[in-house]
Amino acid sequence: MLLTPIASADVVLVANPNSGIEKLTQSDVINIYLGRYRLLPTGSTAVPIDLSDKTEIKAKFYQLLVDKNLAEINAYWSRLVFSGKTRPPMQIDNVNDALQWVANNLNALAYMDRADVSSDVIIVFEWPSL
Amino acid sequence: MQRLMFLASYVIKVVFMNLKVTGKVMPKQTEGYISHMCLTKLKKLTPLLLIALSLSAGTVSAEERSALSIRGFGTLGVARSSSPDVEFIRDLSQPKGIKDGQWSGRIDTVLGIQANWQINPELEAVGQVVSRYQYDASRDPALDWAFLKWVPDERVALRAGRIGADFMMLADSRLVGYSYLTVRPSVDFYGSLFSSSFDGIDGSLTLRLGDGLIRSKLFAGVLPEKVSGGPGVWDTSGSPIYGLVFDYFTGPWQFRASSTSVRFANDLNFTDLTDPLHAAAKATGISTAGFAADALSAKDTDSHYYTLGIVYDKGPLQVQAAVNEIDHETATFQNSQAGYLLAGYRINSITPYAGISRWKTKYKDHVTGLPDTLITPYGPVDFKPLNQAYQMLMDASGANQTTYTLGARWDVLPKIALKLQWDSVHGKAKSKFPYAKAQTDPGWDGRTDVISATLDFIF
Repeated sequence: MLLTPIASADVVLVANPNSGIEKLTQSDVINIYLGRYRLLPTGSTAVPIDLSDKTEIKAKFYQLLVDKNLAEINAYWSRLVFSGKTRPPMQIDNVNDALQWVANNLNALAYMDRADVSSDVIIVFEWPSL
Repeated sequence: MQRLMFLASYVIKVVFMNLKVTGKVMPKQTEGYISHMCLTKLKKLTPLLLIALSLSAGTVSAEERSALSIRGFGTLGVARSSSPDVEFIRDLSQPKGIKDGQWSGRIDTVLGIQANWQINPELEAVGQVVSRYQYDASRDPALDWAFLKWVPDERVALRAGRIGADFMMLADSRLVGYSYLTVRPSVDFYGSLFSSSFDGIDGSLTLRLGDGLIRSKLFAGVLPEKVSGGPGVWDTSGSPIYGLVFDYFTGPWQFRASSTSVRFANDLNFTDLTDPLHAAAKATGISTAGFAADALSAKDTDSHYYTLGIVYDKGPLQVQAAVNEIDHETATFQNSQAGYLLAGYRINSITPYAGISRWKTKYKDHVTGLPDTLITPYGPVDFKPLNQAYQMLMDASGANQTTYTLGARWDVLPKIALKLQWDSVHGKAKSKFPYAKAQTDPGWDGRTDVISATLDFIF
């Protein structure tokens, strides 16, 4: 793990502190981010946020989540989008805007490096440190 | 922002005007006019789409996020099929295929543009226009989808308009080459599908079940399409279609079962054959000739499509398998069974894959009952050409072949993939249905090798 730029323990998923979400499981996060089922334990609909493909954290997040690279994630979404089934996560270019969006929206979720987490959001899912 | 909203309303308006016009069963003489109208609108739309694209490409903060998105997909593909006797096609909608070892871009090249407009959090409008080689040998853009989607609750989704027919696993995205591993969906499995969309409604319900999710979907509507069927074009528009689909997702697994039924609204045009058969039945008193003619009727007959599928997708490994059974009440088409197995394993950005598929139909034992030569007091009557023509038609929908596939997908850039594929088809000489113009080629031995190269992209 020391060789990878971002360790798995450094990738976290954050939510709004007033969302009522305490913890999510990995299968919850997969269902939300792959657009299969976005109903939160609170009864609201999750609004997942994707960062730009250019960010290192996005590739790391999907690798940890489903062991897929970004081309595979794009192919997955092209199947659902072009058959009119589900919307992909909303894309926000940088982590600061994502933080702001989560801080202002009750049901928003965003992944980021643990170092970027501010006091305006809470961590609802993280990978165990290895 | 105002410009964007204007564009959004224009796009949606045009999309729904088209839906309104083309969604109905049109008298034949208006068809050319309609497609001309669609084309003219599309031409008008193109600069607007380009503006919308350039606007949406700019950076906007989340708060200003546009409710309109324009996306597209496409494939530039060339392929060659070694057989000089039959024309290899991608599916039954294509009136001409490839043969004789000649490279051609005909069968796989496609371009699609889709507009999604999020009207409010629960309501979305989607329109998709696709240009591909189709039933009338043109590439005129056709409106594949145009629907309103209402998601009142995350578990429930209702759609109304022109919708993708979810006939079989992955069937409603089978034009989006970028979305799958192979150059094209298995011809043995999907080749007999001629419809990509219907006008109607569908509703799905997704619920948690154990560790997984179960999704049930019901759909009903009418087919809007024409297909290239036997002699000329078969107008299947107005044919009622309904079906049921169950998906179960758990971890890396997906299981699917579906059932779809279609009741055809129109006959294929076989009057050159049925008129003489009826006349012969009347003149000779051999009633089987009349029954044989009636059996060719497709109008008000049912066809049923049943499928089972399974996908295992974990990390670099993807495996999928599916089987289907198609039963036709009309004698024009033999009943068929097909299946495929495909596996791929990604190594960095290259995913080699291998597959095997099989398609077999069951011959329908209809005969005219007419002797080849009937001796009458007025001299012999020759029914041999009529018997032969009938036999030829009975044979025309036969398939009996196995295809071995090897290929690789290379994800060159995040939204561009290159693919190279070899399909080796091992069939019987009677396997004619999968091809265009096979009926007239006695040299066909059921064997062909198809080499394909594509560039698939999304934007």
